[in-house]
Amino acid sequence: MKARVAVLVFPGTNSEEETRDLLIDCGADARIVHWSEAASLVYYDAFVLPGGFAYEDRIRAGAIAAHDAMLDAVIEGAQAGKYIMGICNGAQILLEAGLAPGTGDIRRPTAAFTHNAQGHFICERVLLRRTVAATRCAIAAALPENLLIPAWAAHGEGRLAAVPSHLEEIENGDFIVFRYADVTGATDAHFAPQGSALGAAALTNREGNVLAIMPHPERDAWNFNHLDRSEGNDPLAPSGGSVLFKSFVTALERR
Amino acid sequence: MRNSSSNCRRGPSLPDLAVAELDDEALRARADSLGLALRVDELRSIAERLGRAPSLVELYAFDAQWSEHCSYKSSRALLGRLPTSGPDVVLGPAEDAGILHLGEHEGERYGIVIAHESHNHPSQVVPFEGAATGIGGIVRDVLCMGAEVVAVADPLRFGNVDPANEHQRAVARGVVDGIAAYGNAIGVPNIAGDCYFDRDFDDNVLVNVVALGLVKESEVIHSRVPRHGADFVLLLVGKATDASGFGGASFSSVALDAQEAQSNKGAVQVPDPFLKNVIMRASYRVFSVLRERGVEVGFKDLGAGGIMGCSAELCSAGGFGAEIDLDTVNVAVDRLLPEVIAVGETQERLLWALPEEIVDEVERIYNEEFSLPQVAQNARAVRIGRATAEQKYRLRHRGELVMDVPIDFLTGTVRDTLPAEAPVPPTMRREREILCEGTLDDLFHEILAHRDVCSRAPLYRHYDAVVRGRTVIPRGEADAGVLAPIRGSRLAFALSVGGNPRIGRIDPQRAAELAVYESARKVVAVGGEPIGLTDCLNYGSPRDPRQYGELVAGVDGLARAARGFGLAYVSGNVSLYNAAANGHAIPASPIVACVGRLADVSRCVTPPLKEVGSHLYLIGETQRALGGSVLASILGLADEAAPEIDMERVVSEHRFILAAAREGLLQSARAISNGGLLVTLAEMSFGCVAARRAPIGIELDGSVGWSSVGRNESLFGEWGGIVVEVARGDTERFEALAESLESVREIGTTTAEPLLAFEDEAWEIADLQRSWSRPLEELFP
Repeated sequence: MKARVAVLVFPGTNSEEETRDLLIDCGADARIVHWSEAASLVYYDAFVLPGGFAYEDRIRAGAIAAHDAMLDAVIEGAQAGKYIMGICNGAQILLEAGLAPGTGDIRRPTAAFTHNAQGHFICERVLLRRTVAATRCAIAAALPENLLIPAWAAHGEGRLAAVPSHLEEIENGDFIVFRYADVTGATDAHFAPQGSALGAAALTNREGNVLAIMPHPERDAWNFNHLDRSEGNDPLAPSGGSVLFKSFVTALERR
Repeated sequence: MRNSSSNCRRGPSLPDLAVAELDDEALRARADSLGLALRVDELRSIAERLGRAPSLVELYAFDAQWSEHCSYKSSRALLGRLPTSGPDVVLGPAEDAGILHLGEHEGERYGIVIAHESHNHPSQVVPFEGAATGIGGIVRDVLCMGAEVVAVADPLRFGNVDPANEHQRAVARGVVDGIAAYGNAIGVPNIAGDCYFDRDFDDNVLVNVVALGLVKESEVIHSRVPRHGADFVLLLVGKATDASGFGGASFSSVALDAQEAQSNKGAVQVPDPFLKNVIMRASYRVFSVLRERGVEVGFKDLGAGGIMGCSAELCSAGGFGAEIDLDTVNVAVDRLLPEVIAVGETQERLLWALPEEIVDEVERIYNEEFSLPQVAQNARAVRIGRATAEQKYRLRHRGELVMDVPIDFLTGTVRDTLPAEAPVPPTMRREREILCEGTLDDLFHEILAHRDVCSRAPLYRHYDAVVRGRTVIPRGEADAGVLAPIRGSRLAFALSVGGNPRIGRIDPQRAAELAVYESARKVVAVGGEPIGLTDCLNYGSPRDPRQYGELVAGVDGLARAARGFGLAYVSGNVSLYNAAANGHAIPASPIVACVGRLADVSRCVTPPLKEVGSHLYLIGETQRALGGSVLASILGLADEAAPEIDMERVVSEHRFILAAAREGLLQSARAISNGGLLVTLAEMSFGCVAARRAPIGIELDGSVGWSSVGRNESLFGEWGGIVVEVARGDTERFEALAESLESVREIGTTTAEPLLAFEDEAWEIADLQRSWSRPLEELFP
């Protein structure tokens, strides 16, 4: 049986359809679950929090959604070891909920993806490289070593920020699953287009069952999204950034 | 109050304007003090038709409905000259948006819904909100056709943004921020547009907006009460009505006075993209319920004229009257005046006409499933009235009738006949030697760094070009944006815009023709077959015969070019009075958007050069024409003639390029536009770096710069044409396909060395890219 994945929609979410579509194309039984249906979340094996502007990014991006009833189910699921991936606004929500890096209490964030260094929204192509061991984060475990994953940074608040002691803990505890890279695969803080601390693009938790990733691999995920880098002749086939979703689904199937 | 409540033929019982008792001067003064833009003769004709003094609510209603913005009174007669039908037209320009046939997938016919508007005046006064509500409004126009909104685009014209001009810079930044804030939040990718900077827009920026939607042609919802819709319920959906946007339609229909700008701020609406995001998703849910039930309904966006304008048009288009109780409207503040509730232009509202049996279900979807009241203060779906068989438009407030007019009189065609003075464009063609000032090297760098040529990336990166995950070519990476909107289908569409104010300034008719050519050419360059057009006519005052003459010439140009290309306009907008208080108007600015069809997205052609050793071909005829070019503006040549288009030749060129694209013979392609041929070639090479590949160089044949028209005009003239890259092994097939087409000529090859080489010159691509990529960074850091 295929793994059942819920794609969560808060008021203001805007990337639910492509996220669901890519999960389906990568072999999951994915469905969109709306904020008025929070009670149904217990029936799902895994959760994906897609991009958007949940609750209008009031206070801070993700801050209100972290207190939405849907997060009760997500937090419970995370603690029970379910796989949870948040992309862009979803990543911001996971940080605000204290699920990633998860070094503090629930809903007491120790780090945040906050305002870009340039002070405005950016939409740019980026490359990501996994900079932890394959075993560190189950969701990213099935990715080939040294693979560069194409994605889009499309956010106004994507800069990782935390107090120095927390940043040190994040760095030393191998919480940074993906960093921004250049075409050669080199990673460096200045490849982060918004000035993210440590060049971080994605964080996990201690247990490695949560992934909070700022850029969108699902927007560079089918051949038609990148005709010049097409893999095979079918423009509708998943490719590029879809590898992360495939890894996510593989992790679910291996459980 | 002179109307007795016992009289069944009574007029509305609110304060009125005793039109008949005032002389012209007193009437004008009174109308001015009420903030009415209606003319004295219009006021008199209203009183005459009603047979009594009109109430204030009625006056504000007519003021909005008969404004230029709503009635197109100065332009409607002209617009009849535009072609509006053709094989790909599903719905012409009669409703909130037009529809073009995209293609079939799994037995269903799919249409592309397209609307094109301006939000020029509001953006000049409050740039952020003005531009944001421009996107908000155009999205509703597409949504209300029953479509899923899939893309937006925005052609922009800013003033001179030199560092000293703080105001013009602030306006430009505010507009870009507003477009980004709104479009990004609702989750609709911004895939196309353009941007010019010119001091003639210092007092009147242009912010045009285009939105596209996807709809199954069998599921289109019309902007009218259906034929059997007598007694249909009018269900208002969205933001609580407030006092914002009162007088918006009339405000857009007068020239801007700097001193008045401050007081006009109240006429601009307040955007709420967060609420809109939820309303869009809730409406998609309603669409699916309506489809399941097979119910025919009407749906329309609240734009100019607010509840009154929308309900009157929705009902009268179906042949009905309307009766509305203003007390039922969800309001944000108590004690709003009835005229404010009736014609105020609060954003994020739509109006349904629904049969009684489905109303509860639709209300439940908005108010409970999507919990609008929790999303924004007092936002909701609420019944406000009904369509009526009687042809009257009636509003009630606090139990009193405050408006009671024949609906066809309110929404009927008002036309002004105006004197026009035909423009006299220059015909000068200078001798080529005059142009050889300065070295080629300096000139090339200066052109690359010109604000109308240089990279738009610093601006475009503010916009989300890839949300929804269906973007094929994002904004700025090619001449047109491309999107594959249907899951599981190879069908895709391309969208481009065209319009060059430098041409508009010298030759209004040619500017319109070239706008059509430019937009079509840009779609063709990505492998899209042009299937239809929209237009936004941005001009000065129709009361100035010279400025009105530019509009007349523009419409003629649009009509001529569209016929030449076999295309029709399915949607459009007219924005007049783009003039400062001193009478100085913007250059004639007809702006055209073109939709192209790609039957197979894998045949889409992108601009970056692909291979070393390819052959480059130019498809197009060089001309002796510098008028309106960037080169002419750098050299200060204001009186050169604009290029002419040989429509028949261009059409066969486009047909050939599309055939070559379908055959997979084109490695890359790019249309020639601002800056001319050399800039186009450089941009094709720059694209390699953006695509994360080693830069590919170009070696041009010596013949390029010495064609019959002279070197500068060959290299920098803006006469159109498209450059294509053909792989070495494909040149024979490519040339065979070109057959007898004379305007196809090989101009060079691609090289491993990252140089653009031409005669004695060999520019480092990286140097050129530096000149080109930086100029806008200081404005949009």
